[in-house]
Amino acid sequence: MAFLQFEHVTRRFDNGQEGLSDVSLGIEQGTMAFLTGHSGAGKSTLLKLLIGIESPTSGRVMVDGCDLKQLSAKQMPWYRRQIGIVLQDHNLLPDRTVFENVALPLRLNPISAKDAARRVRGALATVDLSDKGGLLPRHLSTGEQQRVGIARAVVTRPRIILADEPTGNLDPFLSRQVMALFHQFRDLGSTVLVASHDIDLIKDQGCRILHLSQGTLVQDTALPGEGGAE
Amino acid sequence: MTVPDRNGAASATSLAAKPKGSAVRAWVADHRRVASDTATFVSQRILRSFLVWLMVGIALTLPGLLWIAQSNLQAFGGQWQGTAGLTVYMNIGAPDSQVSGLASQLQESDAVQRIVLTSPEEALNQLLAQSDDSEFLRTALAAIETNPLPASFSVVLQADTSFLQLDALSRQVLAMPGVDDVEIQSAWIERLRDLGKLANRIGGGLSVILLVAAVLVTFASVRLAIESKLAELRVLALVGATASQMRRPFFYFGASYGVGGGIMAILLIALFLDQIEAPLQSLLISYQVGVSLAGFTPSFLLTVVLAGWLMGILGALLALSQRLGHLTNHGS
Repeated sequence: MAFLQFEHVTRRFDNGQEGLSDVSLGIEQGTMAFLTGHSGAGKSTLLKLLIGIESPTSGRVMVDGCDLKQLSAKQMPWYRRQIGIVLQDHNLLPDRTVFENVALPLRLNPISAKDAARRVRGALATVDLSDKGGLLPRHLSTGEQQRVGIARAVVTRPRIILADEPTGNLDPFLSRQVMALFHQFRDLGSTVLVASHDIDLIKDQGCRILHLSQGTLVQDTALPGEGGAE
Repeated sequence: MTVPDRNGAASATSLAAKPKGSAVRAWVADHRRVASDTATFVSQRILRSFLVWLMVGIALTLPGLLWIAQSNLQAFGGQWQGTAGLTVYMNIGAPDSQVSGLASQLQESDAVQRIVLTSPEEALNQLLAQSDDSEFLRTALAAIETNPLPASFSVVLQADTSFLQLDALSRQVLAMPGVDDVEIQSAWIERLRDLGKLANRIGGGLSVILLVAAVLVTFASVRLAIESKLAELRVLALVGATASQMRRPFFYFGASYGVGGGIMAILLIALFLDQIEAPLQSLLISYQVGVSLAGFTPSFLLTVVLAGWLMGILGALLALSQRLGHLTNHGS
């Protein structure tokens, strides 16, 4: 069984529309894959199912062999601490400095302030923002804000990184920089899943591409052993 | 760009494993951080916080004052019970045998503690002694040649005698032969006590309403705090904050509003008591009752602060149950 596994997953909304229709796929640990598709294809729904914000109407979403439906409301936060989430709109807190924004997830964990500061400095160095820690987000460019969001996602050293349109607001140069970062985290052992509709950008990344259309998985470029649909 | 060393990266096999480290240390650290954040949050909005403290304080002031009033009325009532009694005035010229017979009859009653007889002569001497112009009075009395004052006696009753018993006894004595009039001593205090009971009932109802108002004030304030922190809460939910970690700051806000309101109430009560103490004592002295205000004790102060804290926590609970349930359940 793959590290991230979807088994005949359907997600039907209250209005009767299906965000995902009978999707089955698997993603191996330590790999990087792209989700593509037009707006409304089901990319965000798939990510939300992995985060645990939404539950499948039918089928199973498995992570490391565990059905997410089996997790209680009390267990869900502990699971989420293993995920780094990067969103298109960054979700940075405007009244906190860059350093404080990146440190936010560490507040939840039993680590010393000294260790937390060391980790934040490391994460900021990773995204090349070591000298911006004392600034407020509004003093940064859009690309820098996106990198702060990435630093916040990786500061806890997550096993899984999920990114929803992380380059949506960036120019091609910055987009390639961000992709390079995801490759680096993949190389360090994280499983990376990036939702993007920027075909030109992702076709050069040499990664598996899962193409969704109207909630259905219509194309999977998985190579043998990459955990393609069964 | 550089990538940090991943030695020590998370490698828990269980999907929802809690992070390694001392849970107690993390709990204490989180409380310390939340307390610090609360102090910052409150101080950055000091005017709004002051108004909340004032509103909660006003709501707590009336119940606090009632408490003090009740304590003082009890002490007051206790003092009155020792001096309860009747003054019986005989008809002018009533024979000594009739007066002493009536006194003996009353002495047999269980409600009567003792009887102090004042003869007409003693009454006249007391009158002359208390008069500013006793010579004129003595001349006037000599002109009429007879003592115009009746014999009288004070009936001191047992301390546990109720007003109803007192009233019944006075009617009984009034109907006896030779008795001209009966005065109930300190009846006004009994009426005051009845009024006090009525005031307690009304005040109790008002207190409940005001305590509910205090809860609603903290509820509204905590709700505003939640609204101002929604963005942060959404992020925290996404990165794995537990329900307790998300709720904790708002319990601190509620508690700070409640405790601040309690302290404000103490100040208001102290100010009020300071204003009324002198005229009240003057009034009581005129009734020959010496009572100093009681009840403003350390335990009372602690109770007011604790009541404020409780109101704040209840307000926070209400706000959290209404606004934060969705976030903690779904994280979106």
